[in-house]
Amino acid sequence: MKNPLIKRIPRELKSDWHKYLVIIVFMVIMIGVISGMYVGHDSMLAAVYAGRQELNLEDGSFELSGRASEDLLDDISSGKKADVRSYYIDKGNKEADKKVAEAVEDELNEQVTEKIEEAVRAQCAAFGITDEELIKGQIDAAIESSFDKAIEEAKESEEYRKAIDEAYDEAHEEVVKKVDEEWDEVADRYNLNDEFTPVPVKIYEHFYREEPEDNNGDGAEDATIRIYKSDSEIDKASFNEGRAPEADDEIAIDRMHADNVGVALGDTISIGGKEFKVVGLLSYVNYLTLHESNTDLMFDAFGFDVGMVTPEAFSQLKSRVHYCYAYKYDKAPESKVEQKDYSENFMKALITQTLVYDNEIEDYLPEYMRQASNFAVTDIEGDSVGASILCYILIGVIAFIFAIIISNTIEKEASVIGTLRASGYSRSELVVHYMSMPVIVTLIGAVIGNILGYTAFKDLAIYLYFNSYSLPKCHAVWSNTALIKTTIIPLLLMFFINLFVIVKKLQLSPLKFLRHDLVKTRRTKAMRLPRWSFLKRFRLRILFQNIPNYLVLIFGVIFIELMMCFAFGLPDSLKHYAKEAPDMMFAEYQYMLMGNKDDDGNIIETDEESAERFSMTELMYPKKSSTFREGMGSGGDESVTVYGISEESDYISLGKDTSKDALYISSAFSKKFGLKAGDVITLHEEYENKSYEFSVLGVVDYDGGIAAFLDADSFNKAFEKDSDDFSGYFSRKEITDIDDQYIATVITSEDILKVTNQLMHSMGGFMGVFKNALIVLSASLIYLLAKIIIERNEHSISMVKILGFKNGEIGSLYIIPTAIVVVLFAAIAFVAGYYLMVWIFHAFMLQMDGYFAFYMNRSSMVLAVLYLLIGYAFVSLIDFARIKRIPLDVALKNIE
Amino acid sequence: MSEQFLEIKDLKKSFGTGEARQDVLRGMNFTVKKGEFCVLLGPSGSGKSTLLNIIGGIDTPDEGFVSINGDKLEEMNEKELTLYRRKHLGYVFQMYNLIPNLNVKENIEVGAYLSDNPLDVEEVLTTLGLQKHKYKYPNQLSGGQQQRVSIGRAVVKNPDILMCDEPTGALDYKTSKEILALIEDCNNKFGSTVIMVTHNEAIRNMADHVIKLRDGVVRHNDINENKISAMDLEW
Repeated sequence: MKNPLIKRIPRELKSDWHKYLVIIVFMVIMIGVISGMYVGHDSMLAAVYAGRQELNLEDGSFELSGRASEDLLDDISSGKKADVRSYYIDKGNKEADKKVAEAVEDELNEQVTEKIEEAVRAQCAAFGITDEELIKGQIDAAIESSFDKAIEEAKESEEYRKAIDEAYDEAHEEVVKKVDEEWDEVADRYNLNDEFTPVPVKIYEHFYREEPEDNNGDGAEDATIRIYKSDSEIDKASFNEGRAPEADDEIAIDRMHADNVGVALGDTISIGGKEFKVVGLLSYVNYLTLHESNTDLMFDAFGFDVGMVTPEAFSQLKSRVHYCYAYKYDKAPESKVEQKDYSENFMKALITQTLVYDNEIEDYLPEYMRQASNFAVTDIEGDSVGASILCYILIGVIAFIFAIIISNTIEKEASVIGTLRASGYSRSELVVHYMSMPVIVTLIGAVIGNILGYTAFKDLAIYLYFNSYSLPKCHAVWSNTALIKTTIIPLLLMFFINLFVIVKKLQLSPLKFLRHDLVKTRRTKAMRLPRWSFLKRFRLRILFQNIPNYLVLIFGVIFIELMMCFAFGLPDSLKHYAKEAPDMMFAEYQYMLMGNKDDDGNIIETDEESAERFSMTELMYPKKSSTFREGMGSGGDESVTVYGISEESDYISLGKDTSKDALYISSAFSKKFGLKAGDVITLHEEYENKSYEFSVLGVVDYDGGIAAFLDADSFNKAFEKDSDDFSGYFSRKEITDIDDQYIATVITSEDILKVTNQLMHSMGGFMGVFKNALIVLSASLIYLLAKIIIERNEHSISMVKILGFKNGEIGSLYIIPTAIVVVLFAAIAFVAGYYLMVWIFHAFMLQMDGYFAFYMNRSSMVLAVLYLLIGYAFVSLIDFARIKRIPLDVALKNIE
Repeated sequence: MSEQFLEIKDLKKSFGTGEARQDVLRGMNFTVKKGEFCVLLGPSGSGKSTLLNIIGGIDTPDEGFVSINGDKLEEMNEKELTLYRRKHLGYVFQMYNLIPNLNVKENIEVGAYLSDNPLDVEEVLTTLGLQKHKYKYPNQLSGGQQQRVSIGRAVVKNPDILMCDEPTGALDYKTSKEILALIEDCNNKFGSTVIMVTHNEAIRNMADHVIKLRDGVVRHNDINENKISAMDLEW
């Protein structure tokens, strides 16, 4: 026989459908939204990672000033360095030989001419000829007739041979000496003498042209478009819409750019003055963000575009061809360190081979440093932080709700439980019975939530990503993270919380249940109350009687305020950071140089008075990884910018003297990792097995980033740099006397604004979704909490109804105390929720790169409390309706 | 009647400590034979419900023991006690304690589920006059009907002992007699030993065995040779 108690479950669901619907809606929204975020996130990353394989993403690329010969390409492919020294010597010798030969020829001519002249003048003197005119005529005639012969004779002389050999030797010696000097400098600059392992690669032609794009037909240039050929075998594109161009007047362009500038499939745009029909909207695997240059701080999806045309159409375009070549390593690097070794070794081969083939490198960029293909991925990888925080808060809320519901049910059914236990039902049978409802409800919520997560909410997440980046099309992938975080954890939590609460509650003897004696300690005497009016005292008694319920309510209100802090605080924190970021800059302008010397080897200087040199390097600070998403951005080490600052700096003042192993850290660094003066930190290189240990001298008030500071001297010593080494200039005014070619990046407050605006744009969508979801969830929670209080007092309410109290009076008896509690504790709960949020936010920031503190506007703080009160006011109305509906017989009929 | 079935020996039980200590059972001794209809009579506070709870294995004595068929309850652990209640006992309380979202038939099945050889649920429904109410929920029934269901839930297990704690305490005269008649019927028809706690003196007349308690001790332990039918009771 099946346990007849099973039949209770569907009936319970049906009879208390309001409550369970609210819980299921709560779970569906929570699981749906978060699962959608994770599924969208994982699907997007899966599509990007799959694209890297399928679309043959390069391992790096280089651009040459001229088209490379087959031989050059073969030699670069081999990965071997060319013998540049011999090349220089050969080249120098050839030039020297030419010069020596010319010099010798001139000298010989002069000497022979002199000898002929001398001989003619001697003859003329012998004949007594004195007429200078006549003598010159004789000389010219003699030169005319015997110069060549004389030269020939001279060249055959031993003396001449000896002299010329000496000249060549001397010139060659000079060449070798000069080459050796130059070589030392070149070798030093490119570390050509270091240990070297050839890295063979396969090279692909990846030429492009940059043309002006007119996308609105007004004849003016709207953007620069970088055009590739449709038959390229490397860095291919996936098509979000349409197809690849087939005819010579067809083009496919970047989907994100097209969206931004309002170009649709079928539109005609003008490229370099030629009309093209847009037949495809694409995403190039190496342009997930439209970074025109790798040194751009932020991409520009409006002013820059990438496109694809047929090879014929490509050849018809007029602008110069950029001889870009992409390469793939024959054997893929296995680690970041290996990645760096490969790229450095390959660069040596590239530099030397290009040199010996008389070509020039215009650009070289290993893929791992390429912003256009890595920026979006890194950003997406770190994006799950919001969803994670929300997820944990909500799991807590759900656990809390269920714990209340279970203990309520058990208290309500105490007599039934007592009877069943007295009749012989075992404790475990009842545990299983009471466990089934929450587990079933969670399962229903999880199933519907996941279905929505994999459909509607996933699309929402993907839509938000598509709003920010040029991403490929993706399809939903199974997300373990989503399943674990949104389903397995809530289910397990539900299971264990229920098990704990139920087992604990059912521990009591059947007799205690029969007697409704479920509380361990009972107040023996009623508290004496002042001589207030009867209703006031009655209300106060109700308040005292319900203290455990109000504790639950207060706890719930703290959760609600926590959710409100998240809903309002996260966008506020972002906005605050965006607003503060420009002020957090050390200087109005920060110039990072490509190197500190110009082409002639002179140190790059400026006359700008406010300019001040600084040094900079990026190191990593090890983080404990405590996340499910290990290895996905959030699990990696923290990047720390280490600055070398001039002594007496106008921009950053350091207190005590730093040394090569003692430095200052930024306040953001200190806050994020709880570091203080006296601590010892170990920083390591990201791409090398090299680490440095520093003691912390103090904290510099700088919240703009995770940074550390040394004086320039200590910096150069710590990182074994030359004593005059530096990386760039801080300046209050724009520096105009440094050639652009030497400047890697300039960071101004505008750039910081661009970055923060982009951050707002990317995260803004998520914030909106979260905020609305949280408001619905908070409303559900306050509804459930208020309902629980009325349910618990149902019996008494029914009784006072019988005694003749009017609904209004009962309302004032039972609603007003709750309202007082809610109002009194709203502000306190807000403070608790706020600090809880600060703590949670900090814990999650630890898993992210960078740092910004949790921040809430005053108006948001007021709103967070106000929303609760307004929500509660509505719930009170529902409560009043509930009170009106409680029948008189609840107190009379013994149906339990 | 057959041989001795239930033995209560030197049973003592007190609540509270120090000055507040109250001795509820102060050395109680009696035996009940199998199939007997035994009534525990006494005023409020005489310890009858405590005694019933101890016999039912849901409360424990401070001293003395209860033995059923030679098995001492005090020697049983919690699991064995649960099994004992499951296999041997049926409980009827003054408060019916029905499960509100199960109908009449299902509430009776809750008892049947526990038994290895339950009675036929339909037959029990007929005996209890609940056939036409079997699909009703408890809140659609009168107090008397609810008590019938609670009796049904207890007897359907075909228990060795039917424990009734003031089963008519909340019922009117007429309904009380009907309920008593039903319990009598079950005793006769299914052969269960009935131990009924009541403060209603009139009920003693329908019992085989009347034990009168006062201040925690047995004042009278009588065998009723002239028992009458429940329907003939008057009070």
